[in-house]
Amino acid sequence: MATNDKAKKDAFYAYYANKLRLPEASLRPVYDAELDGKKGPDEPFEMPDKMEVLFKYSYGGQSRFFREIFHHNRLLGSKCPKCGKVYCPPRHDCPLCYEKTEWVPLPGTGRVEAFTIQHYSTSVFVKKVPFLVAYVKLDGSDFLMMANIEMDDVGKARPGMPVKVAYRAEKAGAITDIYFEPLEQ
Amino acid sequence: MRDVAIIGVGCTNFRARHPDKSYFELAYDAAKDAFADAGLSRTDVEAAVYGIYNDFFQRQYQPDAFVHDYLGLAPAPAVRVNTGGATGGSALRIGYAEVASGLYDIVMVLGVEKCADCFDYATKNPVPEVLRAILYTSDMTYDNPIGRTAASGFALAVLAHMEKYGTPTAEQMAKVSVKNHGNALKNPRAQSGMKITVEDVLNSPKIVDPFKKLDNCLYTEGAACVILASRRKVGEMHLKKPPIWIAGLGAALDWAFPGNRESISEFHGCRVATKKSYDMAGISNPLEQFDVAELHDAFTGTELMSYEDCLFCEPGCGGRLIDDGTVCAGGKLPVNLSGGLIGCGHAVGATGLMQTAEVVWQLRHEAGDRQVPNARRGLVQSIGGTLCAWTVSIVLERND
Repeated sequence: MATNDKAKKDAFYAYYANKLRLPEASLRPVYDAELDGKKGPDEPFEMPDKMEVLFKYSYGGQSRFFREIFHHNRLLGSKCPKCGKVYCPPRHDCPLCYEKTEWVPLPGTGRVEAFTIQHYSTSVFVKKVPFLVAYVKLDGSDFLMMANIEMDDVGKARPGMPVKVAYRAEKAGAITDIYFEPLEQ
Repeated sequence: MRDVAIIGVGCTNFRARHPDKSYFELAYDAAKDAFADAGLSRTDVEAAVYGIYNDFFQRQYQPDAFVHDYLGLAPAPAVRVNTGGATGGSALRIGYAEVASGLYDIVMVLGVEKCADCFDYATKNPVPEVLRAILYTSDMTYDNPIGRTAASGFALAVLAHMEKYGTPTAEQMAKVSVKNHGNALKNPRAQSGMKITVEDVLNSPKIVDPFKKLDNCLYTEGAACVILASRRKVGEMHLKKPPIWIAGLGAALDWAFPGNRESISEFHGCRVATKKSYDMAGISNPLEQFDVAELHDAFTGTELMSYEDCLFCEPGCGGRLIDDGTVCAGGKLPVNLSGGLIGCGHAVGATGLMQTAEVVWQLRHEAGDRQVPNARRGLVQSIGGTLCAWTVSIVLERND
């Protein structure tokens, strides 16, 4: 290959490695044939891309729920003053009564309504498998919350298993700041 | 309300990837087929409804506008519908409403989906990145961050159903996979026709408990198009093929956080939509009154749950219908002769319309090797969202 062509290839891979934030080595096997001119004129012409948008998002009426977890390791639910139902995940407003809810502390204990073991997941999570995704019925709440359960042997999870909330030491201000673990491990 | 007929259908091949087609070119192929099938041209279309699910799959937000341009339908009005896996059925529902209301006489409903342009460079495989794109349509605050997938939502429902009723069993689920992959062998448009055994399914890699790899539907690219016409228009046209009437249509959007539902072991919204469509069409005994059904088999276990939610049998008894062959080719009510999502493929926005086209071909007696003799009435079920949030249920029949 001519020196000039190598320089063009290097520039191409440097550009996309930066844009996609990926190592050049992960791109080269995919695009070398195209860059080396080995594709026919009517073969599909394929190029890398990434769609992204940055955020500074607000949790709105659920802000206190996330702030209490973030700063104080405390789990809150929201209670409708009219029907008395307690929501967790919380809601600023009751969807049944159209009343503003009130914050109530939850004990953080509950039981597993249903759970599944993820043996495969998205590109973001695939390195964590196997892990548990469950619907947890929290004590003091009237509804189910989808959550991760962390335990040494995921094969020992059982429906109806009592669990308790746990808080991560390093937090991100996201729902993943909490997870559940068996009440007795 | 006016009667509405399907007078033309078109469908591309369903494939893991069409690298030689953009989303609007796939749409064009399906529309061209449907126009030819109906004996119409683009200038006859008064309005369009587009079923397109995931903007990341197309690498384009608001892709409907560019499909419309590519099809040369400007300045006809058009809207895009997105209800997850139910997108195709929902698009048909909006098109139906536009004709039934008297707003238009001819409406084109078109579903299209790419997906495998998404690509995970670490594994050199589209699927993990496809899953990531899908998870942007789950709730971003509570559900997306914990690494759940579409499969784990439905898995939780199937597991809750098993806990309550003891069914479906792994073997019953595997039989659905064998059936749908087998049916797909007779469908030239299908992505994954295969002759496999129950053991092949049970021994395939675990994906999300209780689903093995072969319990899951496929990621697919394709397009499907349905042309709707009012009874008045049908009377004026000299159709070469029998019109297929939309005799019943029901829909629901259940609690999108399924934790807010009374139960996760059955799909209440699906039952509501089903009953509405059955009431409208006068269906009281679906096993007797339907000749063919296309159900949303995103996962084997959910097809079995759908037998119950579509009132083919009592709750907890869905597995029996696969055990005794009722839902197999040649059985009393064959389900997913197209191969369904598992065998033909799941090109999300196009899926419900591909399944509608299959029932239309069956009722016209054009289904080739898959044909159910003398089929007169069929069911299409389209579901989507976390644990079946959206459902559309459509009863199609031939009246001539």
